Amino acid sequence: MNPQLAGLEDLEGTYVFDLRTSHRALKLNRFLWNMISADMRERFKADPEKTMTEAGLKEEEKALVRAQDWIGLIRYGASFFVLEKFARVAGRTNLEVYAMMRGETFDEFMKTRRVPDCR
Amino acid sequence: MARIIGGIGTSHVPTIGVAYDKGKQDDPAWAPLFRGYKPVADWLAEKKPDALVFFYNDHATTFFFDVYPTFALGIGERFEVADEGAGKRPLPSIPGNVDLSIHIAESLVNDEFDMTIFQDRPLDHGCASPLPLLWPHEPDWPGAVVPIAINVLQFPLPTARRCYRLGQAVKRAIESYPEDLKIVVVGTGGLSHQVHGERSGFNNEEWDKEFLDLLVKDPDQLTALRHADFIRRGGAESAEQIMWLAMRGALEGDIRELHRNYYLATTTAMTVTLYEPA
Repeated sequence: MNPQLAGLEDLEGTYVFDLRTSHRALKLNRFLWNMISADMRERFKADPEKTMTEAGLKEEEKALVRAQDWIGLIRYGASFFVLEKFARVAGRTNLEVYAMMRGETFDEFMKTRRVPDCR
Repeated sequence: MARIIGGIGTSHVPTIGVAYDKGKQDDPAWAPLFRGYKPVADWLAEKKPDALVFFYNDHATTFFFDVYPTFALGIGERFEVADEGAGKRPLPSIPGNVDLSIHIAESLVNDEFDMTIFQDRPLDHGCASPLPLLWPHEPDWPGAVVPIAINVLQFPLPTARRCYRLGQAVKRAIESYPEDLKIVVVGTGGLSHQVHGERSGFNNEEWDKEFLDLLVKDPDQLTALRHADFIRRGGAESAEQIMWLAMRGALEGDIRELHRNYYLATTTAMTVTLYEPA
């Protein structure tokens, strides 16, 4: 256990990205990271299944990507910072992804914000 | 000899870059953010530093988790602004200062900070989001950036105290550089925010204010905090505020806060501050 992180066990809705997670979900995170390449974005849009298979994703991982299940991907072990690259390809803004991770509609989420027009 | 003439703390929210590129400077929802940078941009225009040393983090853009450095320093004549999934931003590449970067690298390693060195790699929004709010870029940026990337993504992260000490070592490196350069140190990230999980959207304005006050008056209290303390108080991703402590370490001793703008609009408490040695 990393002593810098001790005491967070009861903190809900938080999934610390440590080396255990990083190691377990490396292929999924590499697949999401690859979306910084314009070529990979085009290849994914043209044939998502082929791109996922070539990336070595397991069926469970493919299903999460296919469903754009943002909270499922986070719980599985995706780093948000590569997930947001995939969100650009999926045509989602970060604010929309936050709303979906919270299980809220976009409008519901924005009503909880101080300046909902700041987007 | 080179010397540090001031420090800046700034958020690096990617949406700032999007709003900047879309020309939302006068949009009522964004104007309080952009206006808040004006006094800092004016100060930089007046003081004309030769270089900004940026303590920032890469967001798994330039580096992936197959090799993810704890502390990395960039060397190059220019640094491209990275494509992070939405295409290239309309910004010129960012000038570096090769001799200064190499000197800082040599000094840090001999001072027992064993840096990873990167070359020919782009910089992502960790650096590029706030930069155009600080410096003009037409036709080109007025000075160089020395990028120092800190791992705040994949735990174990360096401790808060280690980041402060890195800042102190950067100060020693700068002050041993023979050329008469004026340097400003920049710490990026924060303040309170969480952008993953069901706790996304968490903020803590009271803690943000306390952090900013302690940063000036008593940074030792902040360097004693654990990452878990940052995560609980300010949201998971606010642990990146350890990069502000690197900036504070480079300004060690008494400082004056010349400017503070705090704008919590949607999910991140977007903040910019300006300091000078007292």
